[in-house]
Amino acid sequence: MKNMNLYSRGDKIFVFANMVLIALFTVAALYPFIYIAALSFSSGFAAAAGKVVLTPIELTLAAYERVMSEPAFWNSYKNTFIYTFGGTLTSLLIVIPGAYALSRPQLWGRRFWNLLVAFTMWFHAGMIPFFLNMRDLGLLDSYFGIIIGFAVNAFNIILLRNFFESIPTSFEEAARMDGANEWQVLWKVFVPLSKPAIATITLFCIVARWNGFFWAMVLLTDEGKIPLQVYLRHTIAELSDDEEFSSTLLSAPYSVETVTAAIIVCSIIPVLLIYPWVQKYFNKGILLGGVKE
Amino acid sequence: MSGVFLEGIVKRYGSLSVVHGIDLEIKPREFVVLVGPSGCGKSTTLRMIAGLEEISDGTLRIGDRVMNRVAPKDRDVAMVFQNYALYPHLNVADNMAFGLRIRKTPKDEIAKSIEEVAQILGLTEYLERRPADLSGGQRQRVAMGRAIVRHPDVFLFDEPLSNLDAKLRTQMRAEIKRLHKRLGVTSIYVTHDQVEAMTLADRIVVMADGRIEQIGTPMDLFNNPVNTFVAGFIGSPPMNQFSAVIEEGQGGLVARANGTTIPLPALEELRGAAGRDVVVGIRPEHVHLGAEEGTSAIPIELDLIETLGSEALLHTHVGNETFVAKVETHGEIGHLQGVNALHVKPERVKLFDRETGRAIGRAA
Ligand SMILES: Nc1ncnc2c1ncn2[C@@H]1O[C@H](COP(=O)(O)OP(=O)(O)O)[C@@H](O)[C@H]1O
Ligand SMILES: [Mg+2]
Repeated sequence: MKNMNLYSRGDKIFVFANMVLIALFTVAALYPFIYIAALSFSSGFAAAAGKVVLTPIELTLAAYERVMSEPAFWNSYKNTFIYTFGGTLTSLLIVIPGAYALSRPQLWGRRFWNLLVAFTMWFHAGMIPFFLNMRDLGLLDSYFGIIIGFAVNAFNIILLRNFFESIPTSFEEAARMDGANEWQVLWKVFVPLSKPAIATITLFCIVARWNGFFWAMVLLTDEGKIPLQVYLRHTIAELSDDEEFSSTLLSAPYSVETVTAAIIVCSIIPVLLIYPWVQKYFNKGILLGGVKE
Repeated sequence: MSGVFLEGIVKRYGSLSVVHGIDLEIKPREFVVLVGPSGCGKSTTLRMIAGLEEISDGTLRIGDRVMNRVAPKDRDVAMVFQNYALYPHLNVADNMAFGLRIRKTPKDEIAKSIEEVAQILGLTEYLERRPADLSGGQRQRVAMGRAIVRHPDVFLFDEPLSNLDAKLRTQMRAEIKRLHKRLGVTSIYVTHDQVEAMTLADRIVVMADGRIEQIGTPMDLFNNPVNTFVAGFIGSPPMNQFSAVIEEGQGGLVARANGTTIPLPALEELRGAAGRDVVVGIRPEHVHLGAEEGTSAIPIELDLIETLGSEALLHTHVGNETFVAKVETHGEIGHLQGVNALHVKPERVKLFDRETGRAIGRAA
């Protein structure tokens, strides 16, 4: 704390209390990660006995060996990449032009279209009709169904639309005078100026896709197409149900818990790797200097 | 280079009409300035020429093409915006190249154009910088460079200097004038600043309330304003105006106001005008110190002296109306303190109809 002397007694207490609170939150948020990581490197026996708290007990790679020896694991991992990459790309390709169109005053019936998009945030048909809809469109058990079925997100569209609306119109006008058509105005001016907003929705998309579980479970029955999260569930169910495995539990080097933890660790790593790369686009103030206020 | 022709140009927003029918012929290579108070429709008119606003009524031609329904990019005009609107994510060179790249100009040609324009504008050292790292004057230059590299048929400027400080504004004004001399591109320039208009324009278009009040060369407008609005708008300080009644004097007609008698020029239009209500207009520059035979001696009480250096402004009043005289100081103002009379030559006195505000007669 710099210049702490300049704070009054009350302010100091306030600042201190804040710091303690933030520290507690950080620990609370971080602990599950640490716990899962520790669990994944512990022996099945230690895990089942509930001995793991902070660090691996009876350090072993058995859980990872078990996980990685399964071709189905790698296949689901691949599927998750397909859904995440394809889904995010599809989302951006729909959300960006959509948000741009909705942000333009010259859009015919603009209020109506905006209302229509916002409407879906509060009201939707519900799960069963959605499922039936997907089924009738022949989108069950299909990569394409998962990717296109969840490509449009009203919240992301509205977020980006608001950002586009905040960009001074003179940029659009300057580009139009420079000969740009609408498409070029969007991709050569608005998109580069909106990097922070686009990075935000990209991250939202990636995380949502990466963790996507429920609909994948409902819409995909083909084991070859399921993503990692569904595979994780299947594995838990499978190991728990496996009589033979349960009976040898005391001697097995891994357990349901450690295998689950190992799969979770494997699934978290790519997100951790991607985050710093996306975060560098969260810098504000890119509009600075282009127009004189 | 092309001329620009406006015939009965109207702009309506819904039922609200903001430009009421503008007729204007701009010759190829001409530098025309639209000037008028804020909100009078200058920008709207310019933006209709640019294609950024739809034209509600009338015909716009550039060269011999009717442009009413042509997209901005196909009009071959370039515009410099008041806020510059430089692309913040691109450096100076890329900002200038943007339009050329979109038009698929060959790479070596782009490089050559940019180098050349950067040279003209003194931007060579700054080509790699982002707009955020430039001063106001440099940004202004980049905005102009972006317009120039395209070699457009017509330049449009919307108050390009109004964000600069006074000194830089004067400097850039001169630069714009030099550029126009050098490039000879038809230019339409919008400003609310009459000094900018006077210094830059081949011809000035004075606008008020969505209408054209007068079109003419700077000296035209200065010497022969067609009405009290133009008289008050052009010139700094503005022309003194006060109400008077025309009477028969000893040597001819005079205008009488609050005990001041001002001999009038012998104008054809004033024959039999005795008793007419008029507004008298006298430019501060045309007022001289002291009383003199055959001129209008105006007895005065000094309210205030503003010293400008080589000149001073004497503030006084005729009746309730302030009256300002601009006089030479010759380096000192002591002799101005005791001034109790001013005079003006009859041929310098302007008369306007009090009812309509229109000028009566035209002096040489
Ligand atoms: N989009 C619009 N909707 C309604 N009125 C407008 C719009 N744009 C401009 N106006 C009005 O048109 C008039 C002229 O504006 P403008 O051309 O910008 O004036 P100037 O550039 O001479 O200051 C103003 O009264 C302004 O309020
Ligand atoms: Mg304006």
